Formats: sequence, structure tokens, C-alpha cells
Amino acid sequence: MTASLTAGLDRIQDQIGYLVISEEGVLASAGELENDEVTAGVMMQMVRTASRFRLSGAAEPPFKRMSVMLEDFVYTVTVSGQKVFVVKRQNNQQEPISV
Amino acid sequence: MGCCYSSENDTQEQRNERKPLIPHPDPVSKPPNGTDWITTSVPSARTDEQALLTSILTKTAQNIIDVSAADSVMMEQHEYMDKARQYSTKLAVLSNNLPQRKALALPSLTSQPHQVLASDLVPYSDVQQISKIAAYAYSAISQIKVDAKEELVVQFAIP
Repeated sequence: MTASLTAGLDRIQDQIGYLVISEEGVLASAGELENDEVTAGVMMQMVRTASRFRLSGAAEPPFKRMSVMLEDFVYTVTVSGQKVFVVKRQNNQQEPISV
Repeated sequence: MGCCYSSENDTQEQRNERKPLIPHPDPVSKPPNGTDWITTSVPSARTDEQALLTSILTKTAQNIIDVSAADSVMMEQHEYMDKARQYSTKLAVLSNNLPQRKALALPSLTSQPHQVLASDLVPYSDVQQISKIAAYAYSAISQIKVDAKEELVVQFAIP
């Protein structure tokens, strides 16, 4: 089961680590996020809070993916089938340099 | 005084001499240890306070449930088992009808997690725009203040 969960994740371009988390704990981890339970806990809390937001009148959360953008990298987070997926990716976007 | 019948012809003054200093204590006024309360006929000399106190005591005594004094219910083993079974089935029925606790369940955001996570990152221009909007909002909120126009407390003008 773990293989099918993670198969697509390590093929994501410029990914440097990932986590698959369930209510019970970390199901899979790799790269820079290998065994990183601290980051897993933080991401769980963040996505749990964010998924409670509602735009007025809507029944579902107003987003598909949560991005935590830091200077050099980004944590992209989504929820599917009671599992939280976190992928750490390089953030190659720089401020355009005007010459 | 001292010899027989000497007090028969006492004057009032002499009778006062014999009057006991401490009146004989009324043995019925203090209730015995236990749950029985004897209602005595209070002399009219007692105050309303005493009557009030007695009524509070009787009310409390009526309301108190003395668990130790209750007779223990003797039930046969099969009766006891029957009751236990009855209660647990009733509980099971009721707990099924209770609404399920969904508060902790994470709502599913997508059925295609890999595709969603592999999509392009948020463009830098969007991030810049959002940061600018947030900065404006922060600045606006920090400028909220009370604009005092008049005194809150004024004197009445007495001509």
C-alpha cells in the first residue's frame, strides 16, 4: 500500500523530500523529510486549521493545496482519503532582476 | 433556716435567697444523636429565630438521603444479569442514534494528490501581490484609533 501512495511523489520535479501522514502518524517519509515527525506535526496542524476555513455559504474547504512558501523551498500540502501528503520542493522562482 | 418548717413563713426576701442561680436544664430541648427529631413544644419565651432554625433543620432532615440507612436491594443472580443485559442493549441502541463525531475528520481536498502536488508552484508575482495586500491591511488595522471629540463626563449646567 505504501508503494502506491509514494510512487508518484518521488517523481515530482524538483522535489527534495516528502511525507505521507495519517491520523495515527507518519506512513512514509523520504529525502529531507525522512523521519521528520516535527515537520509532520506542524503540517498536520496547519492543514487541519486551514481546512476549516469556508468561503461564505460554501460547504467545502476553498482550496485543493496548501503551500508554505519559504525563501529557498516550498512545502506543498494536500489531503486525500484521510491522508495528508507533504512534498518539499525547491523554490526556483527569484525576484526578476531588472538590468 | 436550718430547722424543720423554718421556710414556711418566709418573707419574699428570704425566698429570693433560695432561688437557684442556674435554672434546671431542659433535657428534651437537645435532640439525641441520630436521625430522629423530636418536636418539642417551645415555650412562648423562645424567639422567632429558634422557630426558623427548627424549620431549616426539619427541611434538611427531610431532604437528606441517608445511603447507609437504606435497605440493600436483594436481587437474585438471574434478575441482576437480565437487568444488565437490558441496560446494555438500550445503551447500544441509543449510541447508534447519536450523531457521529466528525469534528476530527480531515475533509478530502482532492482525489488526485500526486497531480495536485506536482502542479506548478504559486507564481512569484502572486506571492508579491498577496504580500503587498497583507501589508496594506496590517497598516490600515494599526491605524484604527479612537477619535475623542467631546468630554465623556460633563457638568450639568445649573443656571
